[in-house]
Amino acid sequence: MAVTDNAKIVTQASWLSRNKLTIAPWLFLLPALVYFAIYVVIPIFESIWLSFYEWNGLYLADGTSTASWVGFQNYIKLWDDPKFWMSLKNNVLWLLLFMLAVPAGLFIALFLNQKTPGMRLYKSLFFFPFVISQVVVGLIFGWFYNPDFGVVGSIWKALYCEETVNLLGNVTFRCSQTPPDILSSAEFATYGIIAAGLWPQIAYCMILYLTGLNNVAADQIEAGRLDGAKGWKMLWYIVLPQLRPATFIAVVVTVIGALRSFDMIAIMTQGGPYGSTNVLAYYMYETAISEYGERYGYGSAIATVLFIIMLFYISYFLWRMYQDEKGGR
Amino acid sequence: MKRLLGGGVAAMLAATMMSATALAGDLVINFDDLNPGPKKGFDDAVAQFQAENPDINVIVNNNDREAHKTAIRNFLTADAPDVTSWYPGNRMAPFVDAGLFEPVTDLWAEQGFNEDLAAIKPTMSRNGEIWGVPYSYYQWGVYYRKDLFDLLKIEEPKTWDELLSACAVMKENNVTPFTIGTKFLWTAAGVFDYINLRTNGYDVHNGLTAGEIKYTDPRIVKTFENWAQLIEECGFIDNHASMSWQDAIAPFANGDAAMYVMGNFSVDGYKNAGLTEDQIDFFQFPEITPGLPRAEEAPADAFFIPTNAKNKEDARKFLAFVARPDVQSKWNATIGQLPINSKATVGDDKFIQQGFETVSTAAGLAQFYDRDAPAAMAKAGMEGFQEFMLDTSKMMAILERLDGVQEEVYK
Repeated sequence: MAVTDNAKIVTQASWLSRNKLTIAPWLFLLPALVYFAIYVVIPIFESIWLSFYEWNGLYLADGTSTASWVGFQNYIKLWDDPKFWMSLKNNVLWLLLFMLAVPAGLFIALFLNQKTPGMRLYKSLFFFPFVISQVVVGLIFGWFYNPDFGVVGSIWKALYCEETVNLLGNVTFRCSQTPPDILSSAEFATYGIIAAGLWPQIAYCMILYLTGLNNVAADQIEAGRLDGAKGWKMLWYIVLPQLRPATFIAVVVTVIGALRSFDMIAIMTQGGPYGSTNVLAYYMYETAISEYGERYGYGSAIATVLFIIMLFYISYFLWRMYQDEKGGR
Repeated sequence: MKRLLGGGVAAMLAATMMSATALAGDLVINFDDLNPGPKKGFDDAVAQFQAENPDINVIVNNNDREAHKTAIRNFLTADAPDVTSWYPGNRMAPFVDAGLFEPVTDLWAEQGFNEDLAAIKPTMSRNGEIWGVPYSYYQWGVYYRKDLFDLLKIEEPKTWDELLSACAVMKENNVTPFTIGTKFLWTAAGVFDYINLRTNGYDVHNGLTAGEIKYTDPRIVKTFENWAQLIEECGFIDNHASMSWQDAIAPFANGDAAMYVMGNFSVDGYKNAGLTEDQIDFFQFPEITPGLPRAEEAPADAFFIPTNAKNKEDARKFLAFVARPDVQSKWNATIGQLPINSKATVGDDKFIQQGFETVSTAAGLAQFYDRDAPAAMAKAGMEGFQEFMLDTSKMMAILERLDGVQEEVYK
């Protein structure tokens, strides 16, 4: 009896110790995997599943769902929905214009990469917009653009308006041209929001390049200088190639930042005026969750489309990373 | 659907476990206003109810209005209170259709509400039953700067032509006739509703929001033409699309704009902006089509009993209580709104008195475009109104687009 027990323990212990190396990483990964599954993977599939239903988010009194199966109907509707195409167009616009953050960040980084007293302070000041919340940035820019009391409005008043007194004796302004109302014009509102979004994004790219610049090999710069490289040539042929990893990351975070733009739009325009600043993420929120939405199936269909776009992009990104790793840089 | 179902069942289980703590004599009430005035009105009423019914233990969950709008979608199934505040009209429709509210038609008959609350009965009804008991509503109309009107020697306009000629005088004197802030869209719906109610009347309003009348219908086109005329000959302040309704008070308070189509809740805002009671006044939106019975906007707040409530007997007692004339008089005096019970009395505030006169003599009461029309239609419609206000030449394109949305929403 005792002998067989002992034998069991021995075999058990040896199985554990034999597989220690295989088990240990999975053990450490387990908590992360569980949470990732619960909060990311399962909701993705649930959302895709939901996009084949029409559902107003309500359950009956006995707890059964009121959803009804509609197959691909939601996607067909999406194809004919001008607001969807408007949102997609705005997403593309965000994507293209957001790319300006990369060169702008690079030049600020080059500018700040010098040894002057107090440089740390300047660097932190430039980095500041990235630290404050996007919501705050949205609010600040909302006020900035305000035609009545914002910076834009004040400059306009100084140029085109005269101060007078109205019937009741209160100070008022009469303008020869009405001040531009950027956030309520269908043509310019999106550009206004993108400009606001660029502000923190440039700071982010700048910090990526600043760290990258620390790793630029001094001997290569010197060799280049001996060979007569200067200015743009130096930047293009010697510095930039060494900054390739930083550029890669900067492009990646900027693309993701552009695709997930949501908070700025929610704060500055709520997708308005009349839906002209919507992007997919905000349109999804609006149709599914907001007060006038409650169409969860349709919202999920929008989410699925956005997911597919991101999926393509992220797969490409991962493939590139894998290639780089394989090639040993 | 299995996953969704699983979620629902789990929520149900959690609900039954949680509510096991609520005892037989407990009455759980979910309310939706934390602002000082409304909160006090509600708390006072609950205290009085408690004093009159010492055997009932009232438990109150008071939540912010926007949070309540989200939470109600879950708690009606997951953890239902015995009474919850909500809105009549189309806002209650999804819950009624999903069987989440308990009909109270018999309570209305028992308590004589059919007479006392007659004006609001149509909006409280759906599918042949009555679903709740309202405790308060407020009037809409035109708030104006009385001092400006006096200066320019303008009388309160009674008809469309009088309004237009009053506007002409204001514009001559560099006063913008109307202020408005359409950033959050619904304010434009107030203007639309009034022009539509005055052009076509109550039945067309209901037909439109019920999806029976198209937006390109000649009657609705006429409404929009009148609106274009109002924009052309009267005019709204510039930049209204980037302002909230509160922002739009600034030009009104400064004397740059003279009128504001608004609900009575805005009076507080005028006073906070420094205006005194003598500087502001109220008139009913002028008549457009002569002889048309006058209908008004009067959004109501009400209480409902969820189907999953545990203590329905006491819940009905509470609903009967909130409709009582004395309770409604006191409650509405506190919150500065109008009681619905025709036997109740109103406070001596001049806006409340004018409002009571406006609403109690109305031929019909609309709830407001975004409460009468389903959510998706309301959103598209209000975006259309804002777009129209910014560029009236797009009228037909907007109306045709709204027809498309209507077809989709009401099918």
